[in-house]
Amino acid sequence: MSITEIHNTSLNEFKDLDKSKLIGMLKDMVRIRFFEERVEELFLVRGLLIGPAHLYFGQEAIAVGICSSLSRDDVVLSNHRGHGHAIAKGIPSKYVMAELFGKATGTCKGLGGSMHVCMYPKLGALYSSAIVGSNIPIAVGVGFALRNTGRIAVCFFGDGAVNTGAFHEGLNMASYLKVPVLFVCENNQYAISMKASIGVAARSIAERVSYGYNMPCYVVDGNDVLSVYKASLEASSKIRRGLGPIFLECRTYRLKGHGVYDKAEYRDKKEYNEWIERDPILLFKKKLLEANILSSREITVLEDEVKKEIDEAELFAQSSQVMEFNKLYSLVYG
Amino acid sequence: MGDPMRTLTYAEAIREAIREEMKVNPKVFIAGEDIGVYGGAQKVTRGLYEEFGAERVIDTPISEVAIVGLGIGAALMGMKPIVEIMYMDFLPIALEQIINHAAKIYFMSGGELKVPLVIRTQYSLGRAHGAQHSQFFPSILLNIPGIIIALPSTPYDAYGLMKTAIRSENPVVYIECCILYHRVKDKIPDQEYMIQFGKADIKRIGNDVTIIAISRMVHEALEAAKILEEENISVEVIDPRTIQPLDIKTITESIKKTNRVVIASDDCVFGGIGAEIAASIQEHVFSYLDAEIVRVGAPNIPVPFSPQLEKMYMPSREDIIKAVKKVMYLE
Amino acid sequence: MVNIYMPRFDPAMETAKIIEWIKREGDLVRRGEPIAKVEGEKTIFEIESPIDGVITKIMYPENSEVKAGSIIAIVSEAGEVKPIVEAVEKTRVKATPIARRIAEEHGIDLSRVKGSGPNGRITKNDVIREIERVKVESTEAVLIRTGRARVLRRFNLSGLRKTISERLTYSHRTIPSASITVDVDFEDLIKLREMMEKSLKVDISLTAFIVKATAKALRSHIMLNSSIEGDEVTVYDSININVAIHTEEGLITPVIFNADNKSVEEISNEIKILTEKAERKQLTLEMLTGGTFTITNLGPYGVTTFTPLINPPQTAILGVGSVNHKLVAKDNDLDLKPITTLTLVFNHQVIDGVPAAKFLNEVKRNLENPLILILESKIAKQ
Repeated sequence: MSITEIHNTSLNEFKDLDKSKLIGMLKDMVRIRFFEERVEELFLVRGLLIGPAHLYFGQEAIAVGICSSLSRDDVVLSNHRGHGHAIAKGIPSKYVMAELFGKATGTCKGLGGSMHVCMYPKLGALYSSAIVGSNIPIAVGVGFALRNTGRIAVCFFGDGAVNTGAFHEGLNMASYLKVPVLFVCENNQYAISMKASIGVAARSIAERVSYGYNMPCYVVDGNDVLSVYKASLEASSKIRRGLGPIFLECRTYRLKGHGVYDKAEYRDKKEYNEWIERDPILLFKKKLLEANILSSREITVLEDEVKKEIDEAELFAQSSQVMEFNKLYSLVYG
Repeated sequence: MGDPMRTLTYAEAIREAIREEMKVNPKVFIAGEDIGVYGGAQKVTRGLYEEFGAERVIDTPISEVAIVGLGIGAALMGMKPIVEIMYMDFLPIALEQIINHAAKIYFMSGGELKVPLVIRTQYSLGRAHGAQHSQFFPSILLNIPGIIIALPSTPYDAYGLMKTAIRSENPVVYIECCILYHRVKDKIPDQEYMIQFGKADIKRIGNDVTIIAISRMVHEALEAAKILEEENISVEVIDPRTIQPLDIKTITESIKKTNRVVIASDDCVFGGIGAEIAASIQEHVFSYLDAEIVRVGAPNIPVPFSPQLEKMYMPSREDIIKAVKKVMYLE
Repeated sequence: MVNIYMPRFDPAMETAKIIEWIKREGDLVRRGEPIAKVEGEKTIFEIESPIDGVITKIMYPENSEVKAGSIIAIVSEAGEVKPIVEAVEKTRVKATPIARRIAEEHGIDLSRVKGSGPNGRITKNDVIREIERVKVESTEAVLIRTGRARVLRRFNLSGLRKTISERLTYSHRTIPSASITVDVDFEDLIKLREMMEKSLKVDISLTAFIVKATAKALRSHIMLNSSIEGDEVTVYDSININVAIHTEEGLITPVIFNADNKSVEEISNEIKILTEKAERKQLTLEMLTGGTFTITNLGPYGVTTFTPLINPPQTAILGVGSVNHKLVAKDNDLDLKPITTLTLVFNHQVIDGVPAAKFLNEVKRNLENPLILILESKIAKQ
């Protein structure tokens, strides 16, 4: 099956797109970035949060590019690195923050934590799996239920998932059943410390999928939000038309460690420096400034607004209550 | 006059329950290996493909993880999937999906997401299928909060429990016993009925010893009861029907009467469901016991292939009779 | 806690040898059980435990020569030496939970049930069988007791009767008593009594004279006016005579205090008052306690001789029989005289035969010379 490469997408391709949509995309990316910065601070500097936290630094273009292309009744399945997906899908950051604090006002009422924040059915954030790859077979089931509805299911996972049994069984079943699922692989080059280029014993992830499951693939510059957006629009339109599942390999880089405490000392400094030049937010800001869609001052205002939102989110989370323990017993069986 | 009845085998009773539900609810579908065109490896789903077509009767490749994942995803979206794991021995392949996802999604979503999924499976002990195609080990699931575990022993129970499972909003693991499929026949009402989860059935009333029996061992216990009757020993046979939830009340009421209890099931005694039931019993009615709680089950070894060895391995009515006499101090 | 001393068998004996310790340290003993064998000059003697308890200390090993009067062992009350007693008595009864429950409900002592289960485990059926057995046994017991006799009345000893019963049982069982009898000629006493009635219009009962006679004799034989508790003997100065009165409820013995200092008239009146009070159940505890010697008179009921039981903790009791005319030899003549038999029962631990006899003879002399009883003079005090 075909592999389509999408890089360097220029704003000109989206001349007809409403400016507010583009500004909204920047705002979402900034929102994710500021949120993650605050989370990092709450963990490492202020010591107010404990547990796992897999931060989305450097991958903002993927979540935002994909989610901006979806309609409200499309369904998203996320993974342990889901703060970005949750915010990009439209979940108010205060609910995500409250979940990290374990409060009853969180997206999972405090019962899921960082690895499950992208769960808010009303806005189409259906399920988050903390087990790498396990959301893939479930996405197939979701797609199965969405056959012939024009709606699609989107499944986010990383390069680490492509070697799991669940990945294999899921993609095979997806192709076999021709379910309306968009598989989005965020290839940030590393599972935890295992380089994708070594661990994935295939010529590339896209080639594995294309040949292995006879599924159309896109290889996308994951740091260019417009490329992601373009690929996603194209792919989802095909999927909605009943052409079966499509695979997006979005190549990006994890700007921080795997988890919030991981200093990622296994990575090459040179490699890091190359990628930091390609910070997706920097790249998009540049494009928007060059096209005069936003001025510097407007960007600053935008950023201030987002900062205020994050401040309010933290306050909201801190002042919320924890669920009563006895209520837990009634949440085992429906 | 009585209600009109139909005579069905254990397998037919399961099929009819599924069929009836598929007819009235378009959201019900079944999926699994060879369940469609082939009619099911044990012919339980025979005829459903012809009746409902490929859209609702899904033959899948060998992908237990994806089969259960398919079921979970579809259930999350409000469908009513009934997926089949061909042999209970294959269940561990999909256990990650069951334990981490099916069982916990309702809890982790704070009650927002339900998983109304039925996972059907069967154990083939007694058919000389060897260690990897014969084992019965429901107690593994017992330790996972969030799953319902049903173990029908008769056509009547099979139909009623399947109906309830399909209409339940919780994930149900429905464990069938292969050698009962076509050998056990019974009359069940024409009119549909459901059997509540967590409601044990007293299959025989007695006074001297309570026998708690699971699945195939219900039949062994009833045969043992007939033999013991001739020696003037009267046993009460209780079939829990579901072990999660477990009807501890019916069990303890019986023990208050008899003061003696034997637990019989096809799994290994060590770490089997009898262990949890025995522990619960002594917590509730310790001061009513006149003897130790004796468990009858398989020895702590994998199932041997050789048919003669397998016969010796399988717990039997003789084992039950021995256990009954032990607790009555009649050895 | 009680010390066991090496006894002195013989005033001359300085030491004795412990031949054998029958009991060891830590052993349980019952009261009266032999603890050790000791050898004096001529005899081998078994030393008994005075109380129920535990041997807590043995001072000398076997074959030791021990000075008389030394402590050779210590016996402690069971309650004092808890651990040892508990260790001996605590053996876990093996019974199933339902067996215990049923046993408790029916008041069955599990230590008396034989278990038919493995390792002697008591099962439900064992307890049920025991319950049946007890039922049958008590039914049998009833049958044994009454046979086919029609029962008129059945009651438990209680109150006064129970007390009397307990004391008499104790008395009968524990006191090494001896009895001596003497015949008394009441001729002069009867004559005196009749005279007093005729001329002075006073009615003084025979019992009153007997009380006075006994009281006076006790003054000169004060050892008989004593009580004993264990090894301790108390000799009293006051002579308080219990007079046995027979009521419907049973024998009651109110006290005539300081009988030797009262006149026969006073004594007689007191007896009358006490008898009335006894019949009306108006006797108080003060009237019944403090007695030092008892007199019981069955004469009015036609009994000639009888052997009363000592009233513990007293050491002697005098039984008075009926007046019977007998032929008595005196100065080669046979006369018909009114004779009464007096029986003195005494505690041989405290009183020997000779002193008892001397006392009884003085009572006889007092009664046969009744003027002594009504004269408070030096003559009487001789």
